[in-house]
Amino acid sequence: MKREIYRTAGEEETIALGRTLGARWPRPCVILLIGQMGAGKTTIAKGIAAGVGAAAEEEVSSPTFPLIHEYGDPVSVYHIDLYRLDTVEEVERIGLDEIMERHAIVLLEWAERFPSILPSRRVEICMESDGDEGRSIEVTEHDG
Amino acid sequence: MPDLILGIESSCDETAAAVVCSDRGILSSVVASQIATHCKYGGVVPELASREHLRAIVPVVREALERAGAGFDSLSAVAVTEGPGLVGSLLVGLTFAKAVSAARALPLIGVNHIEGHIHAVLIESRAAGAIVQFPALALVASGGHTHLFELPEEGRYRLMGKTRDDAAGEAFDKVAKLLGFGYPGGPVLDALAPHGDANAVRLPFSKMKGNALDFSFSGLKTAMLRWVQARGMDDEIAARRAVLRSSEHLSIEEWLAATPATTLNAIAAFQRVVIEELLRRLDRAAEESGAQAIIVSGGVACNQGLRRAATAGRFPCPVYFPTPGLSTDNAAMIAAAALGKFSRGEFADLTLKAKAGLTLA
Repeated sequence: MKREIYRTAGEEETIALGRTLGARWPRPCVILLIGQMGAGKTTIAKGIAAGVGAAAEEEVSSPTFPLIHEYGDPVSVYHIDLYRLDTVEEVERIGLDEIMERHAIVLLEWAERFPSILPSRRVEICMESDGDEGRSIEVTEHDG
Repeated sequence: MPDLILGIESSCDETAAAVVCSDRGILSSVVASQIATHCKYGGVVPELASREHLRAIVPVVREALERAGAGFDSLSAVAVTEGPGLVGSLLVGLTFAKAVSAARALPLIGVNHIEGHIHAVLIESRAAGAIVQFPALALVASGGHTHLFELPEEGRYRLMGKTRDDAAGEAFDKVAKLLGFGYPGGPVLDALAPHGDANAVRLPFSKMKGNALDFSFSGLKTAMLRWVQARGMDDEIAARRAVLRSSEHLSIEEWLAATPATTLNAIAAFQRVVIEELLRRLDRAAEESGAQAIIVSGGVACNQGLRRAATAGRFPCPVYFPTPGLSTDNAAMIAAAALGKFSRGEFADLTLKAKAGLTLA
């Protein structure tokens, strides 16, 4: 297990950090984005998707309602938000296990609520706001 | 002979079917979650993903045909949402439509869901004898989309702006949940907003770098979170969650009784900022494009505050909203969008694919 802590001063720095991080790990790669509403999960997702050339930053928006956004052709980034789901059965029904096997980066929001579906090898990005524009971002690599 | 088109929609939560006639407009429009409340399927509310769509699609199509007094034999074509949406959900509608097309030798028409939302307005305004003039603007705002298009003529679209983070409806629903009104609670906020003073709470407007017609709602959402945190509202929010658990159908009076004036003020301010964010983009886009009409569609078009503000003489051209049943996801809009494609002979074949990230322009 490897842990690093970053601090970003604003949205642009958070996106820039995402760009660096996205290119760092071999695929398939499951990345949990953890933090409360407004912590910057969609913001860092913009950087990750842009960093691997899957989408322009402004193309990446919140997947809460549609559950899954796909980026790249062929798809190289899945951005998935389990916010609206309440049970493991619902999560299974969206075909998450199959998506996690693909040669892609899978970004997961609110997935820590369903520990049984998570692969042991994964990255966790925990984000916290300093009450203003700044964010502290803790990146943990679980080797599995 | 007028043409009858069966429309099928299954891109996200709703399974829907409808029959639309080239002469007589919408003959039927059935949405599974709406009839499920009548316990037709043993009270199962179809939502989230393909298994529920699979369960609902056959009875929903049957109901749409029955209500229209039509059978598969009387159809001219079958139209279906090809995207954007969840692939697993889209596939249910697509596969069903292809099966009908193959079995009955009917032309198959693929429709973009967002184009469907725009056609919900076009078909209703035609039925009301109010023809939408072009160039027009179309704002499609829902839980999953916030897109602003210019329509130089019917059937042509130019994207002018879209959200860079949350959709407008998503901001409503998430703030409602934050305040203890449950999820999705956008309509509750809309109903409570007139009871507060929007001037009493200051909330930020978005500042867009680059395209000024893009939208952003995450800053507003975060400002609401900070407003709540600064007040230590845990007890108040817990009390509302208890109210929520006490009954399935709460009246606005019951919500009002559980919501102090300061919170009503914040709700009013939030509602006003979201509405202004939407309407200011329309102001600017109308000026740039010389639009002769404005179309507002998608679930957020149900918002009463938005309807009042948009139709209060703010714009130099008419503003068209769909009726509430056609604002949220439905299949009449899919069949309506297919009418033009049918007359132009724009047919798909059985290789038509689900396109999760399909764009309109």
